[in-house]
Amino acid sequence: MNRGEVGTSRTRADALAKVTGRAIYPEDIIMENMAHGATLRSNMPHANIKVDVTDAEAMEGVIKVLTAKDVTGINNHGVLLKDHEVLCESRVRRVGDPIAFVVAETEDIAKAALEKIKVDYEELEAVFSPVEAMKDDAPRVHEETSNIVFHYKSRTGDTESAFKNCAVIAENEYKTSMVDHAFLQPEAGVSYMEEDGTVVVKVATQYAHFDRFEVAEALGVPEEKIKIINVEIGGAFGGREDISLQIHLALATYLTGRTVKCVYSREESFYGHSKRHPFIMKYKTGADKEGKLQAMEVEIIGDTGAYASWAINVLRKGGVHSTGPYEIPNVRVDSIAVYTNNPYAGAMRGFGATQPPIGYEQQMDILAEKLEMDPVEFRLKNTFKIDSITSNGQLLVESIPLDRCIEAVVECMDFKDKNFKKSPSKINRQKGRGLGAMFYGTGYGNGFPDISQAEAELTKDGKVVIYAGAAEVGQGSKTVMRQIAGEVLGLESKDIKLVSEDTSKMLDSGTAAASRQTYNTGNAVKKACEKLRDNIIKKATELLKANSDTGVILKDENAMIRTFPDIKVSFKEIAQNLEKEDLKTYAEFTAHATEMHEETGQGAPYWPYTFGACGVELEVDVETGRIYLQDAVMAQDVGRAINPNLIEGQMDGGFAMAYSYTIYEDLGLKDGHIKNNKFSKYLMPTALDTINIKKIIIEDPESTAPFGAKGIGEPVMVAVSPAILNAIYDATGVRMTEIPVTPEKLLKAINEK
Amino acid sequence: MKTIKLNINDKDYSVEIDGSMKLVELLRDRLNLMGTKIGCGEGECGACTVIMDGETVASCLVLAFQADGSKIVTIEGVGGDTGDHPIQKAFIEKGAVQCGFCTPGMILSAKVLLDKISDPTEEEIREAISGNICRCTGYEKIVAAIQLAAHKINKGEDRYE
Repeated sequence: MNRGEVGTSRTRADALAKVTGRAIYPEDIIMENMAHGATLRSNMPHANIKVDVTDAEAMEGVIKVLTAKDVTGINNHGVLLKDHEVLCESRVRRVGDPIAFVVAETEDIAKAALEKIKVDYEELEAVFSPVEAMKDDAPRVHEETSNIVFHYKSRTGDTESAFKNCAVIAENEYKTSMVDHAFLQPEAGVSYMEEDGTVVVKVATQYAHFDRFEVAEALGVPEEKIKIINVEIGGAFGGREDISLQIHLALATYLTGRTVKCVYSREESFYGHSKRHPFIMKYKTGADKEGKLQAMEVEIIGDTGAYASWAINVLRKGGVHSTGPYEIPNVRVDSIAVYTNNPYAGAMRGFGATQPPIGYEQQMDILAEKLEMDPVEFRLKNTFKIDSITSNGQLLVESIPLDRCIEAVVECMDFKDKNFKKSPSKINRQKGRGLGAMFYGTGYGNGFPDISQAEAELTKDGKVVIYAGAAEVGQGSKTVMRQIAGEVLGLESKDIKLVSEDTSKMLDSGTAAASRQTYNTGNAVKKACEKLRDNIIKKATELLKANSDTGVILKDENAMIRTFPDIKVSFKEIAQNLEKEDLKTYAEFTAHATEMHEETGQGAPYWPYTFGACGVELEVDVETGRIYLQDAVMAQDVGRAINPNLIEGQMDGGFAMAYSYTIYEDLGLKDGHIKNNKFSKYLMPTALDTINIKKIIIEDPESTAPFGAKGIGEPVMVAVSPAILNAIYDATGVRMTEIPVTPEKLLKAINEK
Repeated sequence: MKTIKLNINDKDYSVEIDGSMKLVELLRDRLNLMGTKIGCGEGECGACTVIMDGETVASCLVLAFQADGSKIVTIEGVGGDTGDHPIQKAFIEKGAVQCGFCTPGMILSAKVLLDKISDPTEEEIREAISGNICRCTGYEKIVAAIQLAAHKINKGEDRYE
């Protein structure tokens, strides 16, 4: 039964609050008798420290200055390895490491007290290059462990002999940059204590339940004594997966009993969360004379900075995706995560799958050119299709519409016809078109228990409530979960209540990351609703004295005989007759994946995969090196579109973020300092720099997905960078292997050609 | 300390401020108008945009005393709690909102534009919101929403006073 929820562009559940300014982000919370927190951060990339807070604590208006010795539980946290310190005890490993947290009566006093804290730094040799950091004699970032955090290996066939038989080989090194999420709302939070001693932290986070676990561990209290409440989240993109100020706030409240608020400035925010891993990627790719790919060797070194965060998973995802969405019989991949004293890197939209296409998609164009073959035709000879086997040995069983994505882009943008080049808009400009193709494996991957839980409840007054801990980071999960529930229960999504913010009120649905919420939590919500629907229909069948449940349908809070709708009973009446245990249903969903073989990478690391293609037309001003977007088209596989408007919004945003990544963003890293830690220096596109893009939604429902829908929050960004880079080559004949392609770099390359 | 008088969202205020207080601090910390956001603190992102005497300003760059005698409109003064200004309705209809943090500033920039030019070109719209950074939407649906709002206002389909 299609209620018209799935496939319909319902307006966002949170839109009205957001357009009226009534949406409450953490910094908007005002409570009585609030104290204010401020963080003292390291100004050295690597040093032994001694901290003296006596003078700061003696200041009038200072309530307490927290240091490592005040941490009542474990002074460590981290999403995988617990290598972050809540407050650094004796050593700092990056500029921006937290050393002390001041709690004071006002924000001004808290900030003034930071100046009074004495830190003796004994500077240690630091390492900023991941290549240097891998050497045996490099300074160790974490004294007890090697700087090499992780090494992913994939081995299939025999690349060495395969290359000997290749007609063409391309060999290049590509480099990507460390960038910031630059979500618009800087970190903020408020913590307070409830009467029974429960510590509550109101914050903007991608994963409230994991925050609760980490806060409880650091405070040394049971998880039931901690409550995380996710208020409105002003963007995330992966940057709100690691702890920022949650533990500092909770600890301050736990020790002082006070309500404490803390708000980061933009400058501090740049130091307050992770970054995208910069990759150095060596590619060697070969094809036979018919244009079939024969061999690929990839070596990736990813700089994770001072802390691992998600480095293992990012470099694993990077490694798995490094060979592209292509059948290649002989593959050798090494993908290595390395500690340095740079800002720490973690999750960011695409999660290790965003960087490799900057390599593999340029390799595709280079090989096609060497073969004098159309790059589209060349790709289509090699793309994944149903029954393809990936370089990890994974069998692709369904929903593999990559060819359709590429063909949809080509239909809108002709890459063969070069006539468009004749009419640049200005005399010193040259035009070019480029194509990028991508795939992205959803979820945590590698056999990790990727679980989402959800509950559905029919209240005594006949209303439906869904409980699912999916964070609304702006992607639209609050809307999509309601649409899925509405489709199952015959309701309009606006009539469904969703509880998704307070860890004490709903179960753990996993993180709002890895493009997994629609797929994973959507599945859990759908299953919970199906159970509730079955309970409702069973009771309705009885109440309606129907001879069979097969003819009973649900519509607008009623159950009715499908072919005689006047015979009906309301949800309210059904609720009053249902047993208590039948009023609330539970379901969970675990995404399927296996752990890969440690030496060969053989296994089924992710499922499902999402595909896409992007075409870009641009102009390069050959006198300034500036790039001007002219046209763009993106075709995105979505499995099935639950809400087409939300998908388009993701496509627009993914395109803009990737465009920004490719030609603008630069942290200005210098000896571990972020020189561009403000928006006047960290350049991002404005409305004058972006264009309207053609968006094509490709549907190919995935049987394991809720109504066939796959996650697309990250995939939408992945094919864009290579399309731009291939277009730059088409325009100028210059192959840009390092991003960002700033005007200076491009001009230099053009002049050196 | 200094006392200033100003009109915010059609309401007169007389407030005591110190000379270094910024307009955004006055709005948020003193008057609890939390719809005005702070994204960068240096006038680059536009999240703190408000309308001052008919023009958009970055309220993080304006000192409160500079607003003495002025007429200020914040997002709370547009369309009320029901969000029934045509720009707000168009933002909802077109899907121009994602995380929502830039939204109040965007709407106010759009309002100043449409108050001056009833039928702006796409280029004029993009220019008008070029001081407002959005990290989520790529601006396309925001531009479309402003076009829709202009269309509806001009057609008289959706009048708002």
